[in-house]
Amino acid sequence: MLQKKICMLGATAVGKTSLVRRFVESIYSDEYHTSVGVKIDRKPVRVKEKDLVMVLWDIYGADEFQSLRMDYLNGMFGYLLVADGTRKSTINDALTIQESVAKDFAKMPFVFLLNKADLKDEWEAGADLEQNLTARGWTVMHSSAKTGEAVEEAFHTLGGKMLR
Amino acid sequence: MAERPPQQNQPEDSAAETREETREDKRQKFQDLRNLLLAPEQKEIQSLRNRMDDRAARAEDLSAVVAESIELRREHGGGADLNKALMPSVEEALRESVRKDPSVLAAALFPVMGPAIRKSIAESIRSMLESFNQTMEHSLSAQGIRWRLESLRTGRPFSEVVLLHSLVYRVEQVFLIHKATSLLLAHCVAPHVSTKDPSLVSGMLSAIQSYVRDSFKAPKEDSLDSIQVGELEVWVVSGPQAILAAVIRGHAPASYRATLEKTIEDIHRDFGQALEEFDGDSAPFAAAEPLLENCLESHYEPKEATKRRPYVAVVAVAALVLAAVALWMSVNNNRKWNHFMVALQREPGIVVTSSGMEGGHHLVRLLHDPLAKDPAVVRHDEGLDAEFVDFKLEPYYSLDDEIVEKRAIEVLVPPGEVSCKVKDGVLTATGRAPSDWVHKLKDRAALVPGVKKVDATGLESSEASETQMLASELKSTVFTFPIGVAQVDADQEGKFASAAQVINSLIAKTSPLSQPLMVEVIGHTDTSGTEGLNMSLSQQRAEYVTRKLVDAGVARRNLNPHGVGTSEPVRNHDAAGDESVERSVTLRLVPAKPNRVE
Repeated sequence: MLQKKICMLGATAVGKTSLVRRFVESIYSDEYHTSVGVKIDRKPVRVKEKDLVMVLWDIYGADEFQSLRMDYLNGMFGYLLVADGTRKSTINDALTIQESVAKDFAKMPFVFLLNKADLKDEWEAGADLEQNLTARGWTVMHSSAKTGEAVEEAFHTLGGKMLR
Repeated sequence: MAERPPQQNQPEDSAAETREETREDKRQKFQDLRNLLLAPEQKEIQSLRNRMDDRAARAEDLSAVVAESIELRREHGGGADLNKALMPSVEEALRESVRKDPSVLAAALFPVMGPAIRKSIAESIRSMLESFNQTMEHSLSAQGIRWRLESLRTGRPFSEVVLLHSLVYRVEQVFLIHKATSLLLAHCVAPHVSTKDPSLVSGMLSAIQSYVRDSFKAPKEDSLDSIQVGELEVWVVSGPQAILAAVIRGHAPASYRATLEKTIEDIHRDFGQALEEFDGDSAPFAAAEPLLENCLESHYEPKEATKRRPYVAVVAVAALVLAAVALWMSVNNNRKWNHFMVALQREPGIVVTSSGMEGGHHLVRLLHDPLAKDPAVVRHDEGLDAEFVDFKLEPYYSLDDEIVEKRAIEVLVPPGEVSCKVKDGVLTATGRAPSDWVHKLKDRAALVPGVKKVDATGLESSEASETQMLASELKSTVFTFPIGVAQVDADQEGKFASAAQVINSLIAKTSPLSQPLMVEVIGHTDTSGTEGLNMSLSQQRAEYVTRKLVDAGVARRNLNPHGVGTSEPVRNHDAAGDESVERSVTLRLVPAKPNRVE
C-alpha cells in the first residue's frame, strides 16, 4: 500500500475543511480541529496507474502564521495551499505560509487553490496576481467546495506532482 | 627394488670420456645416495598420491570423519552457515523423496504427527472448556446476572463482557508508525476487537504527540510514553525511525514495555534500510506483522476455586426448592384437574367430548348448551388458572330436565304466581295465571326443545279465583234488623253501597256470552212469632234490601228476593251467634241457570 501524507494549509475559513469533506467520507467529527488543531482523513485514489492512499492532514487555519504548528507538516509529500478568492487578505496569508513552508520543505509539491469559485463576481483576486504566480511556477486552480468544481482535479493534480 | 649398491671402482678411458663418465657417475652417485636416504619416504608419498587419485578410497576416508567434522563445525559456532549450506539440498532431497514415494516420509513422520495433532486438539478443547467453565461460573452468580444485563445494554456478547471483567489486561492493537511521515507501516489487532481505520489512528497518534510536545515545549526527541483514556491505555515506544504504539485494555505490567522496546529494536535491526528509504509504500513491512502479533498479549484473572463453592451450594438448594415446588404444583394441579373434570361432567348442559394437551396447556372440547354454566366459572370454582386449561365450545340443545326447565321458563315467561317444573320431559305448571296465558301454554310449550308433554292441571285462571273471593265476600254480608221491623237501623245503611259494588264487580266479570249472574236476597226472622208472620216479615225484609241495592246501582234483574222465615237459620253459619243474627237478610250467589231466571 502506497500512502502519502498531504497537508491542507491556508488561512481560517478559506474552505479547507469543506474541500476535504467534498473529497472524502470522514470518520472523525470536525471537533478535532478545535481540540488538537488537526483532523486526519484518508482517501484512496488512482494516480498515474498507481493506487495511492492520500492521508489528508487538515490543519486548523491560522491567520497569524506563527500559530501554525510546523510539527504537523513533518513527513508530508505535498500540500494544498488554499485561499479564499473573495478575500484578498487570505491570499496574502497564503503567500506568507508558502514562504515559511518553502524554508523547511524546499521543492515540496503543492497546488494553490483559489477557493469559492462559485462567488466569482465577488472576487478580489485579480488576473495579474494569477499570472504572476504562474510565472513563478505555481500551479493555480479555481475550486469550489460548494459546487465541487475542480476539487477531485486538485487532489489528482497534487498526486501527479508527488509521483513525478 | 631400484636400489643399487654404490660402485666403488670405475675404469679410466679418455679424458673426455672420463669427464663424461665422471658427470654420469656423480648423477648416479647422487641418485644412489637419494635412494639410499629417501627411498622409504618416496614410497610413502607415491602411495599417498595413488590414494588421493582414487575416489573410492577418498570417500572411504571421508566417511570415517564426516559426522565428527559437522559436529565440530557446529561446536565452533558455524551452525548457521552449515544450515544455510545444507538447507537447499535437504529441501530438495525431501521434495524428491515425497515425489518419488510419499509413504516413506509419511511413515517416518507418523509417530511425530499423531501426538502433535492430539496435543493441538487437546489444547483447543482445553481452552474451549476453560472459557465454557468461566461463562458457566459467571452465569450463575449475582455478578453474572449484572454482566448479562450489561451485555443486553451494550449489545456485546455475554462471553465478551465476562472476558472484559475478568481481564487484567489485553493488548488489543499494535501500530507500527513511520516516525518522519507518521504513516502507518504495519498494524495488527486482537481477535474480536473492532477498530477504526488504523492509518487514520496512526496519524492522529502522531498529531497528538506533536501537539503535546509543542504545547508543553518539550524537546523534539522526547515523545509521549503513554496516553490513558478510561480503561484504555496507549503505550508508545520510540525508535530512531519508527514508533510502536500498543493499545491496551486494563493495566499491563511494567515489564510489557520491555517487550515493546525489544520489538522496536528488532524491527530497526531487520528493516533498517526499508525504514530509511520509506516513501509511503508499506509493502515491505508486512513481514514485520508477526513481530507485532507477538506483542498482542493478554492476561485474565486466575480462577478462584474456593469462591465458586457458595454459588454451587446456593444453586443446588435453589434447584432442590424449585424441584420440590414443581413436584408439589404438579401433584396439586393433577388433583385439581381431576376434580375439575368430574365437576365439568356433572354439570347439566355440558358434555365433554375430549381433553388433552395442546400448545403446552390442557384443552377441553365440549358440547355446551347456551343455558348451561360457563365452563370458565367451573374452572374458577375448582381453583384452576385460566392458563392451565382452555376450552373449545360446540353449541347444542341439552335435554337435561334442569336445562329444559330453564329454557321453558325463558320461552314461556310464566307470571309470578306460576311455577314450572320439568321432570322426564314433562312440564308441570302450577299456580294462578291469566286465562289468556293458560290457554296458550300448551301450544307454546310444544315449541320448547325438550318438552314432551305439558301438565297444566295445577293451574287456575286468576280471573275465576277473583270471582270466588267476591262471592265469599258477598256471602259474609249480613244486614241485621230490629225485632219485628223490615227496615235496618241507620248504622247498617253503609253496607248497601259496598254490597252493591261487590255485586256489580261480579256482574262485570261474567262473560257477556253466559247467563246473567243472579244474587239471591234471602230474608230471615228469629223463631219468635208465628210461622206465617215470620214468612211475611222475612219477605218484606228481602224486598227492602233489594230496593236498597237497586237504589245503590244494582240492576233489579240480577236480584232475587225471597223470605225463608226461620227455615234456613243463619246461625248454622255462625254457631256462636245469638238470635239477633236471625233477624236479617243474607246474599247468595247462584250459578245462573235458565230456570232460575225471572
